[in-house]
Amino acid sequence: MTNKILVIARKELFTYFKSPIAYIILVVTTSVFNIFFYMIIDQNREATLHDIFQVMEFMFVFLVPLLTMHVFAEEKATGTMEFLMTTPTTNTDIVLGKYWGSFIFFSLMMVMPAVYYLIIEYFGQPDRWAVATGFFGLWLEGAFFVAIGILTSSWARSQVVAAISAYATIFLLYFSVSFLKYFSGPAVEVIRYLGTLGHAANFAVGLITPGDIAYYVSGIIFCLFLTRISMENRLWH
Amino acid sequence: MIIAQKISKYFGKVEALKDISFEIGQGEIVGFLGKNGAGKTTLMRILTSYLTPNAGRAFIAGKDVTQKGVAVRRHIGYLPETPSLYPYMTVREYLKFAAQLKDIPVRHIGRSIAKVLDDCRLSYVQNTLIAHLSKGYQQRIGIAQAIIHDPAVLILDEPTNGLDPTQIQQVRKLIKDIEHQRTVLLSTHNLFEIEKIARRILIINRGQLIKDQSLESLLKEEGATGLEEVFLKLNPPQVERSDD
Repeated sequence: MTNKILVIARKELFTYFKSPIAYIILVVTTSVFNIFFYMIIDQNREATLHDIFQVMEFMFVFLVPLLTMHVFAEEKATGTMEFLMTTPTTNTDIVLGKYWGSFIFFSLMMVMPAVYYLIIEYFGQPDRWAVATGFFGLWLEGAFFVAIGILTSSWARSQVVAAISAYATIFLLYFSVSFLKYFSGPAVEVIRYLGTLGHAANFAVGLITPGDIAYYVSGIIFCLFLTRISMENRLWH
Repeated sequence: MIIAQKISKYFGKVEALKDISFEIGQGEIVGFLGKNGAGKTTLMRILTSYLTPNAGRAFIAGKDVTQKGVAVRRHIGYLPETPSLYPYMTVREYLKFAAQLKDIPVRHIGRSIAKVLDDCRLSYVQNTLIAHLSKGYQQRIGIAQAIIHDPAVLILDEPTNGLDPTQIQQVRKLIKDIEHQRTVLLSTHNLFEIEKIARRILIINRGQLIKDQSLESLLKEEGATGLEEVFLKLNPPQVERSDD
């Protein structure tokens, strides 16, 4: 990672914590996760985080676009993009720096739920491997959603448009398996592979497959690559 | 130091720049004039490699702005038309961020910030949030970030835009103070300011370069006593039609 990527990532984190939305998101997500964790454990009486992982995944679908909508859109609307792009910094450094800043902030949302493991470990005998892979899968999925949010933010000047585009893309990936019954033949397998639910479900039950990791990693790289193209495309217009 | 060769730029079907060519030598201070929408900002953005021309080439310090954008930007200090500032940062935080992006070695960053704070008379407000500062201060912060890496070329797009007369005088003095040994391309609507600072004038109209000569010879050629007279002669005001 180059020094410029670190500088931009640090500035992105700084931007989050200079705005009340960062604190609101952290407090709201932690509170909601805590409530669901209590309800699920209270009802099931099982030393597993499987169900809370599903709740967290569903929450990230709604939260990540709120986190990422400002990343490029705000810089374009306020004119600071011109400052960034007229410094001796490459477009790749800008994209990666912004991505890392947002991803680190997203990772902070995963810190509190890590305490849930300690709680179930204290009261029961959880499947440690399934907990670890579940967290890893959720983290990878969040990383993918952040990359999608960064991409849609690079398309727009308005944060609202950036957020709506991110919601549309993430919803499509998240809910795509619900529409499988309307398709037949090879399309079913393609849609099943493109949807996020199946991949995350594997991680949640302790399965780590190269195909699932490749899905998320290639998705992240593809979105960041498109973000870079989106920045360069602007140079021609 | 700055070479433009037959630069053209289109935005859709609109031809913003048509075959613009000129050369600016080291240490020259050049005033760049034109009406709103004439193409000044577009040309400046091309020179800073922020925009890519559709035709033609530009070189800064011998480097092609399209091919070697990052290397070119190391030689340029650029003040955009709209101050590109982060309102939630203090002046010092912003200048540190700018210094880090402009490849100033870590051990020199403190010294570079102290110098531009002093040069731009910002020391007093260095720990103030940018959002809390007046437009005059914000313009000075913009100039401070433009010169923090001691660039050989300064491109200033409307540095006195929206300032009151006192602030204009302060910014003009600041430009005079920092111009030494630098090549400066300065765009402004304040013709009095150009007369005070620049020795050579470029005038652009509807994307075409219509004048490129010394201030003295331009005034002589047009038989004018001031730049305003020349400008109005070359860019006559449009007569507004009444439909009554």
